[in-house]
Amino acid sequence: MTHILFTISTAFMLGLTGLTFHRTHLLSALLCLEGMMLSLFIALAMWSTQNDMMIFSSSPLLLLALSACEAGLGLSLLVATSRTHGSDHLQNLNLLQC
Amino acid sequence: MSPYILFVMLTSLGLGTTLTFTSSHWLLAWMGLEINTLAIIPLMTNKHHPRAVEAATKYFLTQAAAAAILLFASIYNAWYSGQWFIQDMSSPVSTLMTLAIAIKLGIAPMHFWLPEVMQGISINTGLILVTWQKLAPLALLMQISHNIKPELLIILGLMSTIIGGWGGLNQTQIRKIMAYSSIAHLGWIISILHFMPALAMVNLFIYLIMTITMFMTFNLLNSPTINTLAVNWSKSPILAATSALALLSLGGLPPLSGFMPKWLIIQELTNQELAPTATLLALSALLSLFFYLRLSYSLSLTIMPNTHPQTLNWNMKITTPLPLSLMMMMTLTMLPITPTIISLF
Repeated sequence: MTHILFTISTAFMLGLTGLTFHRTHLLSALLCLEGMMLSLFIALAMWSTQNDMMIFSSSPLLLLALSACEAGLGLSLLVATSRTHGSDHLQNLNLLQC
Repeated sequence: MSPYILFVMLTSLGLGTTLTFTSSHWLLAWMGLEINTLAIIPLMTNKHHPRAVEAATKYFLTQAAAAAILLFASIYNAWYSGQWFIQDMSSPVSTLMTLAIAIKLGIAPMHFWLPEVMQGISINTGLILVTWQKLAPLALLMQISHNIKPELLIILGLMSTIIGGWGGLNQTQIRKIMAYSSIAHLGWIISILHFMPALAMVNLFIYLIMTITMFMTFNLLNSPTINTLAVNWSKSPILAATSALALLSLGGLPPLSGFMPKWLIIQELTNQELAPTATLLALSALLSLFFYLRLSYSLSLTIMPNTHPQTLNWNMKITTPLPLSLMMMMTLTMLPITPTIISLF
């Protein structure tokens, strides 16, 4: 069990690092967010097989539905940003400082 | 915005918070938080202005990351202890869970998104952000508060009050000042959370009343900066008089209601042998008090014949709406009924 937990934790932490250290494009931050959600999906799916309990088998699907909504929202914000700021470069998001 | 769409968004906001309140399973609580994020983004980008879109993007990124970290901590807890019950969170990830909730709330040192996001959105959406969006994460934090190390909450609380006070000193935009005020008040709330959650709820209740008062005042007066506040005595003299007192209540001065939570929290911290913490909290409240005083100076102490370089507006008569009157009354006069308020929680 600990090997699986270590692998999934590493995958999540790598995605989180990619999200926090985004450099140029907003799209790469959204991709890392999706990577984090994918690692959580796999963790939930493996948890219900580890426990041999079928009652929570649908929980990965619930996570997937909400995370897909969130991804759609992120992409629509990406489109809105590129309409107002011209591109999705993160250096352009500097209108709100002071 | 069309009334139907506004109705759907506001209902979704209510649904998300209610879902998080009533859940005992971490997955459902996470879903409620996600629904809250989803519902407020269209409210933020109602006007398709670059600042609003930028604020919505920054808000979305921070809240989505915090919700993902929260879900990761709950899945790790499920692997570690085999159950999903919220109140039995006792694994090593309770710290990570607390930090995720702190990102959602805007507690220092995870507060950097809050002033910028508040600056980019309209004042009414800012009101929803600062009041309603704090309720669901605080409900989760209260349920796991007995499992978190108390040092973490004390450190977060101290940093929040100090950074909230210090950060607001150099601001001229009203919305950023209210953002730093929110950070400071949340610092007070979480510093007492481990020892007496009822006091944290009293503080939250009083803070909500005071913040709603100030936001409704600024919405009515329609001034984005401190400079433009100075001409509002002609628009509504009663508001100029009472909002000065409401700002002092935000700063926590007796005999106004804002003193009640600060007094009770300092007393409880001293009972728990944390007198230096209580001293630091009280001293950092002075920093916030300074910029509240600056706001109240602009609002009400620059009435004629004291002049101000700002140009006067047309003297349009504005009527104070009833909710603002109610909240203003509660902001100023609730200190004598402190035992009643404590018995409510």
